[in-house]
Parts: sequence; structure tokens; C-alpha cells
Amino acid sequence: MSERIAVAMSGGVDSSVAAALLKQEGHVLIGVTLKLQECHDAHGSRSCCGVDGVTRAREVAGNLGFPHYVLDCVKDFETLVLLPAWQEYAAGRTPSPCLLCNERVKFGLLLDWAGRLGIERVATGHYARLGRDGSGRPALLRGCDEGKDQSYFLAGLSLFQLERAVFPVGHLRKPEVRGLAKRHGLPTAETPESQDACLVGPGESFAEMLRQRFAAPARMGAIVDEAGHVVSEHAGIHAFTIGQRKGLPAGATARRWVKAISPESGQVTVTSDPRAILGTEFVAKDVNWLAGELPGTPLACSVQVRYRHASDAATVRTQADGSLAVILDRPAKAITPGQAAVFYDGERVLGRGWIAAPA
Amino acid sequence: MLYADYNATTPLDPEVRAAMADALGGSFGNPSSIHSAGQEARRLVERARAQVAGLVGAEPDEIVFTSGGTESDNLAVLGALAAAPAGRSGVVTSAIEHHAVLEPCAHWRGQGHAVTFIGVDGEGRLDLRALEAAAGSHIALFSVMLANNDTGVIQPVVEVARTAAACGALAHSDAVQAAGKLPIDVNKLGVSLLSFSSHKLHGPKGAGALYLRRGVPIAPLIHGGRQERILRPGTENVPAIVGFGKACELAHLHLAADGRRVAELRDRFETEILARVPGTRINGVGAGRLANTSNIAFAGLDGEALTINLDMLGMAVSTGAACSAADQTPSHVLLAMGRSEAEARSSVRFSFGRETTPEEIDRAVALVLQVATFPRGARP
Repeated sequence: MSERIAVAMSGGVDSSVAAALLKQEGHVLIGVTLKLQECHDAHGSRSCCGVDGVTRAREVAGNLGFPHYVLDCVKDFETLVLLPAWQEYAAGRTPSPCLLCNERVKFGLLLDWAGRLGIERVATGHYARLGRDGSGRPALLRGCDEGKDQSYFLAGLSLFQLERAVFPVGHLRKPEVRGLAKRHGLPTAETPESQDACLVGPGESFAEMLRQRFAAPARMGAIVDEAGHVVSEHAGIHAFTIGQRKGLPAGATARRWVKAISPESGQVTVTSDPRAILGTEFVAKDVNWLAGELPGTPLACSVQVRYRHASDAATVRTQADGSLAVILDRPAKAITPGQAAVFYDGERVLGRGWIAAPA
Repeated sequence: MLYADYNATTPLDPEVRAAMADALGGSFGNPSSIHSAGQEARRLVERARAQVAGLVGAEPDEIVFTSGGTESDNLAVLGALAAAPAGRSGVVTSAIEHHAVLEPCAHWRGQGHAVTFIGVDGEGRLDLRALEAAAGSHIALFSVMLANNDTGVIQPVVEVARTAAACGALAHSDAVQAAGKLPIDVNKLGVSLLSFSSHKLHGPKGAGALYLRRGVPIAPLIHGGRQERILRPGTENVPAIVGFGKACELAHLHLAADGRRVAELRDRFETEILARVPGTRINGVGAGRLANTSNIAFAGLDGEALTINLDMLGMAVSTGAACSAADQTPSHVLLAMGRSEAEARSSVRFSFGRETTPEEIDRAVALVLQVATFPRGARP
């Protein structure tokens, strides 16, 4: 059946092919490119949301024969994504802005805006699939391309949002997508990967960009070893993440990893023992559970604690405050507060929570 | 496509296209060259200059060709201010000017000079009393548009020019939207500077003119060769100027008939919309307006959503603002008229023109009716 669908188009190959596939199915489309930052902010960076992206998206929409609009989200993006991300860094955590962007912008603002036009569905070029579970609820599934699967970034969507989402390339592998782009003669067939490049250009630090944007003071302090001896000073805790190796002063003996970040003291604790950054337990807060009620009894599932990470077998228990206590079967490296923990049953996303700092 | 956005731009007239094709074909010479090829190109430019001058009742030597309305406005405002006598640096303009005037004025203010933005009444007419109160011997320039691009409301430029003359200042009028739609005589208006543009009157994009009254001093903004009396150096865009000239000639010829015809169509459109879409109101209806422009507020609806839904159905209209998830500032013109942000955001500009047919008006009414009563109603 032909539907009216708004396609979020970054100007990259995935969303272009998503649009081409929907067009082929006979849907009535509008293309929308989200303007997330002012042009002068994007200066010099290869931004998927910048002017180049708009130009390419418009060309694709024109070639495929549907209208294209630019939706100015600059202010909302700052409030809904960038400021919360900075607040996480300032609290010594490491944010996952892509999840917030999907929950609040692509399937938040854009879905609302489309609704005002009488368009109830939003499509994106994400590598994820949608299905139905036994109760008829929408189920979010991993994309078929294991290397590209983006279900992790979408795990914060509500059932309402999933009902209205369309992921036309989720069943494809990246080379197939590029092939389709060529076959459809899309000018984006050869565009580079835009993922992770939305916000900063190569070599730039996202955290430092945020700090400057919000004119926030850096929480300076000392880098200390596990015995509490000062190794050196640092220019701000926002430059560090748990498990980080790069950018630390060379140790006398061996490699070092960031083990802990304290926003109170400004101390960054490093260790030269790789086992010290292994963990088996954490708490996930502000849980978005997609598979019905939160599990009442301990639930065996798998969990992914960051995007580029294989999932680990785990047991999950609901706590009185609605958070989840997670126990991994095997220790995982660098469980990082602020990152999303996404729970899976096989290829189905069960839900997501935010990894809390150890109590 | 049902095109109802003639105030944004107009289709090229076939006669204009033919004149340009001739110029593009053979006469490639540089009008500044002394040889025959150059002379031929020069003749084309000068013929166009006479045609353009004819549209506004000027002498050919009072026309400076530019790249378009924005450049003409900038040259008029900043050029006149740069050449103003010592002790005169103030500007009086209106709050409803096009950005091509507002921004150079804001730039001038940023350099430490006094700039006054005069307001308008609820129908979009300039507050002449406030304008007179702002006059004085320190004012170098008055700049008020002849007709507003958003509402079509015609401004009292004769009175503005009189006030300017009384205090020894220059008067400029941005006539980009008015030219080709209203009869214009620079001598009756009494202005020293008047900007207009080719593509708003069925000519090509990339050409415009500044009328500059004989003897009025202005300074160039760019420096180079001696073209356009040194006021606008650079080799002339001959084919576009030829097209602009032809378009002015045609506009002059058809102005009265076009105006009557389009007024009838516009009025019928408005009557139908007011009668059939509840909660509609015409912005600026109480003032004298351009015959082709209809700015309509749809109470409780979202102008941007209406615009996009009309686009999806093949009808082109304008809201005057970019699409925005946030509550972006809507038309500064409607706000200046005292409309609330919500009212301004509910407004859509329809503008018709030479090629609009009565059948298109019927279809336009039907399409607007359809989107204004869309399921979920395009409601904010």
C-alpha cells in the first residue's frame, strides 16, 4: 500500500538508497535533511549534515522525483543532544550522542514535524530491521550486515517511534547498498561513510568542541596511578574515557589505561594492569524496555556495552527503582559510564539503559 | 506545476528568451572594445539601457546595470552613504524592507551610525508621522520600498521623498517587487535612487538596475574598469542585460492590461478562500496592494506545513521562512504589522502573474481547500 513517508536524508549512500527503494515501492515521499549546525560551525569539517550533504540529498531527491526540504534543527539539536552530551563529559562520563539524536531528533523532532504535514512515518538509512513479536508489538532487530548493524543506536526508540519507523536498507549488506546506488544512478554511490562524522571533522575532539561551544570551564586535575602517586597534570577530565590508552603520559614500565575519572577531585586514575579495567557488574539506568514489561525475574540475555563491541552473555535483574542490575558471564573491558547498554535476545533488541557510574 | 510564487521569481518571457538567444549567438564582443564586434555588443547594452529607463520614466544615462536587486540596493544605500557630505550619516528606513536593504543598513549601524527603522500599521503601511519625526539635518538617506514583497502593500514613497527633500537628504526606493507590476515614474515619485531587478519581471536572473538621478553623487562598492560610469566596474553581462531590456519593454507595454487581469484573478482567489476556508484573513487587505499578491493567514494552521503539502500536490507558494523544527522567527514583515508569532507562522504568500489562468485559480482554490482540511489538519 502506498504511504506518505518522510525520508531523513544525510546525503550519504545509505539514506539515498533507502529513499530509492521506497520510491520503487510506490510510496509518496518527501526528503528531509536535518540542519544540525550552522554552516559556519561546519567550516572545514566533512559533515554529513552540512552543506555538501544538503546538496547531495537534494540531487538524489530530484533524480528520484520527490521534493526535498531542509529542516532547521540547530537550536533543538544543541538543547537535546549537544548540551546533555557535554553534561555527561563534565560529570566524568562518556556520552552516546548518536542514541540521543535518534530518540530525540530523527524520531523525535522530525517525526513530529512530519506529523504536522500529515505524514506519519519516518524512514532512515539505518542498518536495522523491524518485525513483530508474538504480541504484535514492533520488534527492533539487528541489521543483516553484521559489520554495519546500527540497532544499538536505535535501542532508545519507544514503541510509538518504532511503529512509525521505516528502515529500508536493514536487510541489506553495505556492498549491496552501494551496488543499488550505482544501479539507481544515485550521485551518492561513492560518498564516504558519514557515521561519526556528523559532529566533528577528522582530528577534532568532540568533547573539546562541546566545551568551547558551551564556554564551560575544563575540570583540570592530576593523572594518578593506582597507588595515588601523581603521574602528571591534565587539561580537563572531558578528554578521557574509561579504558583509554592514547594520550596518556608514557609509563616508566608499560602501557597504561584510564581506570577511573572523578569529576569531584578532577583525578584521572590510570593503571598498568589490563585486568584492572575489566568488569563483570554494572547498573543500567533510565531503561527503555521494548519487549513488554521489564523482566520480573532474572533474565538471561546478551548485552552490548558500546557500539563497536561484541555482545556478552549476561543476567539482568530489575531493581526496585526500575534500573537494571547486570551481571556478565565473563568480564568485559572498560564498561564505561554514560555509554548505552543495549540488551538483545539473539537479534532482537530488548531494550537499552545508560551505564551508571560504579556506586 | 501550478506556479503561484511570482514574487519569488517569474518565468522567462518567450520574447525575452528569443532576444537573449540572439545576443548569445552572435554578439559576443566586449562592449568596451573599440572594434566592430565590441561596438555591436555596446549597441545591444545601450538599447537595453533605454528600454530599462523607459519602464521607470528615467533617462538612459540614469541607469546603472548591476547583477540584480540585492546589488542595486547595496550600491544605493552604501554608495550614497559613502558619498554623503560630512555631518550627514543618518539613515531612515522601514522595518519591512527586504534584507537587501535591512542588512546594509544594519552594517552601517554596526559602523557606529544612526539608523532608524520606521514601523508600519496593522495593514502594513509605513508610519509617516514617525518617519517625519526621524527626519533631520543629520540624515543622509531615506530608503523605503515601493511595494512589500510579502504582503504586496504599496508604500507612500512620494511622501518619503518629499520628507527627504525637505531635510536635504536623498531618497531611495527598493522597487524590486513593484517594477513591472505598478506604473513607475521616478520623477513623480521624486526619488534619487530606485532599485529593480530583471527576474521579477520575466527577464533572466543575474541582471538588475539602479536608477541614479543625474547629478546625485554615489561611490562605487567595487573597483576596476570604467564600465557603468565607474560605478559598477566589470564587463557587462550582455545577454542578461539584453533580456532585461526586452523584459522591461514588454512589462511597460503590458503593465496596465496584465495588472487588471491578474487583479481579477487574485480577487477571485481571495473571495473563494475567505468564503470556503474558515478562519482565513488577508494580511494587508485594508491597504493599497500589488494586484498579484495575496498573503493569507490560516488561523490554527501551520504555513510551512501548508506550503509543503501544496508542493507535494504540485502547487508552488511561499511562507517566506526556512523550514524549522524550532519556532523560528517568522516573517519580519507580518510581525512589524503587529501579528503574533502564531498568526505570522500561519500565513502563506500566494503571488500570481502573467501566465496564471482562471482555471489555475480554480485548481488553486481546490488544492488549498484540500490541504487546509487535511487529515490531522497540518496543525501545529
